Amino acid sequence: MSITFIRFVFSLFVLGFLSACGTLGVEPWERDVLAKDEMQLVSDPLQANMDDHIYFSKEASSGGRGFGGGGCGCN
Amino acid sequence: MSYSQFKHLIISACLVAFLCSSASASDEPGILDLSDAQGHVVVVDFWASWCVPCRRSIPWLNEMQEKYQDQGLIIIGVNEDTEEAEYVEFLKKFPAHFKMIRDAEGTLAREFDVVAMPTSYIIDRDGNVVTRHLGFKIRLMGDYEAVIRNVLSGSEAGTELVSAARPRQ
Amino acid sequence: MEKGNKKFVAKSLATATCALLGTTGTNPVHAQEEQPWQFDTALLYYGENDDRVQDLSLNVLARRSFADDRILSLGLTVDSLTGATPVGAAPMDVAQTFTRPSGNSAFSVPANTQPLDDTFLDTRYAVTAGWQQPLGRLFTGTAGVSFSDEYDYTHIGANFGLTRDFNKRNTTVNLGFAFAQDDIEPISGSPTPLSPMLDVGDISNRRGTESKDVVDVLLGVTQVINQNLLVQLNYSFSDSSGYLNDPYRVLSLVDPVSGDTLARTPAPGTEGPSHEFRFESRPDSRTKHSLFAQAKYYMAGKVLDVSYRYMTDDWEIDSHTIDAKLKFPFANNRYLEPHIRYYTQTEAEFYRATLTAGDPLPLYASPDYRLGNFDAITAGIKYGWRTDSGHDLGLRLEYYMQDGDVPGNQLIGNQLQRDMYPGLNAIIFNFSYRFGLGH
Repeated sequence: MSITFIRFVFSLFVLGFLSACGTLGVEPWERDVLAKDEMQLVSDPLQANMDDHIYFSKEASSGGRGFGGGGCGCN
Repeated sequence: MSYSQFKHLIISACLVAFLCSSASASDEPGILDLSDAQGHVVVVDFWASWCVPCRRSIPWLNEMQEKYQDQGLIIIGVNEDTEEAEYVEFLKKFPAHFKMIRDAEGTLAREFDVVAMPTSYIIDRDGNVVTRHLGFKIRLMGDYEAVIRNVLSGSEAGTELVSAARPRQ
Repeated sequence: MEKGNKKFVAKSLATATCALLGTTGTNPVHAQEEQPWQFDTALLYYGENDDRVQDLSLNVLARRSFADDRILSLGLTVDSLTGATPVGAAPMDVAQTFTRPSGNSAFSVPANTQPLDDTFLDTRYAVTAGWQQPLGRLFTGTAGVSFSDEYDYTHIGANFGLTRDFNKRNTTVNLGFAFAQDDIEPISGSPTPLSPMLDVGDISNRRGTESKDVVDVLLGVTQVINQNLLVQLNYSFSDSSGYLNDPYRVLSLVDPVSGDTLARTPAPGTEGPSHEFRFESRPDSRTKHSLFAQAKYYMAGKVLDVSYRYMTDDWEIDSHTIDAKLKFPFANNRYLEPHIRYYTQTEAEFYRATLTAGDPLPLYASPDYRLGNFDAITAGIKYGWRTDSGHDLGLRLEYYMQDGDVPGNQLIGNQLQRDMYPGLNAIIFNFSYRFGLGH
């Protein structure tokens, strides 16, 4: 897989998400499940950090995870 | 939209909510017929127990209801929890001293086109929605209160202060 | 009735769930228990087979929420590392002697064993600080710093992030940057790449301290699919430049026919290496690209967390990671969470098991198994519960196993009979405790 391919796939996804406006997603008052702690993308940041450190020390790859999005969507 | 059209909208929305809420056997307060509210300033606040800023707004709404009751302020909380048990549990911990309506299906929220949690709509004495505020920020509590006072006194000053304030088209 | 135009339908809603480029996280608050302080603490034990690396660490993450979704995060990690690591040299059918990294003494390893150096004893301290706040209704900004120190390595870093919500907060775009400046001070100085391992007391091939810079960029999209499903897709770019070598790793110089390491004798009156070893050499830059996808799916109380990451870099390493966790809740706020992870990577272009005498010396060569060709599996389970006072505890046990090999075309002569690639298996044990403070 080349870098160009990665960029292409990624741009498709980004464009897809941004343009899929009203078709994907929920209403603001329907986020009770998404608001739960266990439904956050990184529900245990400490554990994620510790594991990242182990795998960074033993393998050649690291990171990739992001931040932001999901949750209760309040305010 | 004219005043009477709007009034009809609100009443029908409330009727729909009434029908939905009476379908589940619960003990929430009955439907509020807004034609009775003419001459009052009504704050309709959409909230849910899983929404952290909503929880922060409850004590403030209690304070507003008590403070401006005599000037004709009516606060109606519209709860969007799908789990009745969570709603009941929540109100035990954080009691609300204003009218509550259950909107578990989200029908009222849809009617009002709610785009954020929480959202408060302020309706003036003539039944017009004069403003809404999206979300609840502690640092804006003073501003929110100022708007309520203004609407109670009949002026529109500051209604654009808090959020996109346009009467519903 | 008229539905009304959507002119004043605001574009999105806020969120505040973050881990900043994999460092400190934010906003864990459940609506019911909103306490200004939240502490996450954990004790982690990592232990490899055969007296290899053992690590015990204490980790603390403190988060303080301020009014209106502003959060301060402070993190501290203390790590104590002991045990032996592979020297990089190939096993031989005779005993081998090596000079220690300090150059002050020598040590021997028996025949037919993976040469390991057990001098590594180190304590690392790491601190992080981060701040998050909304910027306007639809944007959230984050900023943070990090610092870590161990006897031969110091790190300083800064990170920044920005998120913007769209589609009533169903879509979130994230952008993040991280910068790091690391100083490496190998004991007795960094050895000249590809120079020989010298006798005890001879550090003539040593240089001074080194440094490296790392820049990371992340661009991601998070999308709410439905009430129970959330997905994320991220692209990240990482560029490291400077000293990227492992200063303590050596390659064996072998005979082109037998594949045996060439023997040598130390100078009279001194101890030293029994065979010919050369310090490794890596390029002074590395560019990585990753694509990461994650989904969180709620199924009537159970939560499935599955992710995939693809990484490729200009060292010609490609890797795939698949990770899955399933959280099963039980009565009384207890849960079980099994976890499985599969990882595979292909070797770096300059990965060499050994150097062949007589061949021209390559520009870059490293026997580091971490740049090699291997698969790894992690399997584990976590048990968690909540106390009456609302504190969360967890016990986690995992088993990590790495298995790889040297690319066939690299093996010569007697090497084919030997176990040239150090596999690895490790136990991970973790106790965690989360509690809040304040009214």
